[in-house]
Amino acid sequence: MTASATPATAARLAAEEGRGRRTPTRRRRVQHPWAIVAFVGPFAAMFVLFYLIPIGVAVWQSLLVVEREGTYGTATEVFGGLRQYELVFQNEAFWTSVGRVLLFGIVQVPVMLALALLFALLLDSPLIRGKKFFRLAFFAPYAVPGVIAAIMWGFLYSPNLSPFQALTSQVNLLSADFVLWAIANVVTWVFVGYNMLIIYSTLLAIPQEIYEAARIDGAGQARIAWSIKIPLVRPALVLTAVLSIIGTLQLLAEPQTFRSFSSAVTSTYTPNMTIYATSSIPNVSLAAAFSVVLALATFILSFTFLRLTRRKGADA
Amino acid sequence: MRHTKRAVTAALLTSAALALTGCAAGGASSGGGGGDAAASCEPAGEDVTLTFTSWIPGIEDAVAIWNEENPDIQVEVQTGPSGNAGTYQNFFNQLEAGNAPDLGQIEYDALPNFRVQDGLVNLGACEDVLAAEDQFLDWTWGQVTLGTEDEVYGIPQDQGPMALFYRSDLFEQAGIEVPTTWEEYREAAVTIREQGGYITNFSQTDINQFAGFVWQAGGQWFANDGDAWTVELTSDESMTVAEYWQDLIENDLVSTYPAWTDEWNNAYNSGEVWTWNSAVWGANSILSGAPDTAGNWSVALAPQWNEGDAVAGNWGGSSIAVFNGTDHLYEAAKFALWLNTSEEALTSLNETAQIYPATEAGLDLPVLKEGVEFYGGQPIYDVFAEAAAQVSPDFVWGPTMTQTYADVSDGFKAAASGSSTLMEALEKGQESTIKALEAQSIPVAE
Repeated sequence: MTASATPATAARLAAEEGRGRRTPTRRRRVQHPWAIVAFVGPFAAMFVLFYLIPIGVAVWQSLLVVEREGTYGTATEVFGGLRQYELVFQNEAFWTSVGRVLLFGIVQVPVMLALALLFALLLDSPLIRGKKFFRLAFFAPYAVPGVIAAIMWGFLYSPNLSPFQALTSQVNLLSADFVLWAIANVVTWVFVGYNMLIIYSTLLAIPQEIYEAARIDGAGQARIAWSIKIPLVRPALVLTAVLSIIGTLQLLAEPQTFRSFSSAVTSTYTPNMTIYATSSIPNVSLAAAFSVVLALATFILSFTFLRLTRRKGADA
Repeated sequence: MRHTKRAVTAALLTSAALALTGCAAGGASSGGGGGDAAASCEPAGEDVTLTFTSWIPGIEDAVAIWNEENPDIQVEVQTGPSGNAGTYQNFFNQLEAGNAPDLGQIEYDALPNFRVQDGLVNLGACEDVLAAEDQFLDWTWGQVTLGTEDEVYGIPQDQGPMALFYRSDLFEQAGIEVPTTWEEYREAAVTIREQGGYITNFSQTDINQFAGFVWQAGGQWFANDGDAWTVELTSDESMTVAEYWQDLIENDLVSTYPAWTDEWNNAYNSGEVWTWNSAVWGANSILSGAPDTAGNWSVALAPQWNEGDAVAGNWGGSSIAVFNGTDHLYEAAKFALWLNTSEEALTSLNETAQIYPATEAGLDLPVLKEGVEFYGGQPIYDVFAEAAAQVSPDFVWGPTMTQTYADVSDGFKAAASGSSTLMEALEKGQESTIKALEAQSIPVAE
């Protein structure tokens, strides 16, 4: 976003010189400094006001501890160093929940992205009819708010009220053994269409000449999909994967909604639910420390993933 | 590739920032004036507008009556979700930000929490408030003084004395006497189970209901001697109650549907579940949740632990508190007193939200003397008036009840699914509550 002042130029140059070549941007004299300020200013102000300052406040808050005298004595907040972080690392429930969402992510993200890729390839393939309809149909669940989707699926899973009671009364999908995967199904249902659309739009951007060349070489549709389309949508896959990893670590709405359907979903089921529960005690400093730790964990995980995929990309 | 990476970086930054901002509601130190320094209770001498947040449906009607009669003290009412469903969180945030309303609805079990967070004004500074003590039931007044002599942190509004709602038709058909002790209740449970029903549903989430059982058994969960808190979730009485219900759960004598869901309503509406140990306001919950059973319900006094005893527990009930930062303590207290003691306000609240008053006189409202159609014409409020007089005045709530409820509920859920027990849940709740108190430097006695 703010990383480059000349993304448009870079894009144009990249387009001129062909795909994938890096162009060193030349240093130029800034011609209209006031215009830049006028265009960037509103964004920068909002960015500082609603992102940077809150982050700063959260970090600061996480360094405070409360001191008080007697049971109802006045509370004063004083600097406590890393005391809150000590509590975070001693909090078993929090780390159990981190482990839970990691397990969730390891299974759910690949399944969801595989489905999204499959649907995108099908939509892009010349063999399928009714593309407009399917594109909309697959994307429609994303328009359903997460909470509503969770309520709807909660009823579908219910052992007593489900229209598929014949199944749900036999296998309790809301029991401790299954509920994580029941939630995974809801999340997949909502986000497959969204990820499909990102991949599909990347597919649309692939120049037709490449396909032509492939067909001349005698490649069938399956071969084209495997050897041309999938490698070319790799960047989109990486992007959707990273977004999904972030989304997984921040799971909140679906499991929170499932608390009223399943007794297996505790108030600290996911890291974000722990943070929410802590902030409603209210223990804002501890909640802030949890948030900082979760944000750092998200960073580390996402950048590790990026690093891994980039190295592979360079080898290929 | 480069663009992708940049976009991903941006996405990362954004989402991480979102994660952080989500919890950055806190400000610096606890704001507001007042607190222990006794605020003065003087009339402003000019026109005053008060803000008031509540979740009682139709409370606007009562406020409108007040505004009509008091042109110089206008009240603006704002409604939101019930306390634990979001309004308390809003209050805490508003207190931090220094823009809390003048008055707010707070349940008895949350008052100590707001007091610990330095959010409440001591209404004991107002003579009218101290003078009103006699109008209230002893135990409801005890809930707002928080164990002090002349400090008052809210005006009691309503109460939830507990009794036994039961399906009189089914009990009659099965030839079961209405149980008067918990022992008889268990015997009835066995008979009912043999007929394919459940005597009741054990709620894994209504920890305040369970607290009501402990309250009835003469137990305590918290004590506060001024220097430190004692946490007693595992007191003998508490454990006795836990063992009783654990036995019912283990022997499949009670159902364990998640409470307040459609499944739960369905269990009552279909006649699968026969009784509910609930508070006076539960009368309305059955009416709306199980409409097909109209006319088949009755109310009896709660089963006792010892034959011949006459004690009741309490579940729920709330007060109107005045928040730190108000400039109009006198007017706010005056309004809160009127809302919770005057016949016109109590009648209005009862009409719109079936509020069951916390005052002695309120229990004699004409509307509370009538038979209720849904309950086969039984004047059910007579039973609750009797129960209200049997509630112990000494029950003390802890300073982090939201957390205690959440943690005990997690344990109860595990017990309901068979992977743990209610006793273990209380032990864990005990431990985590002490940790939560210590994390906020709230002194705990060993």
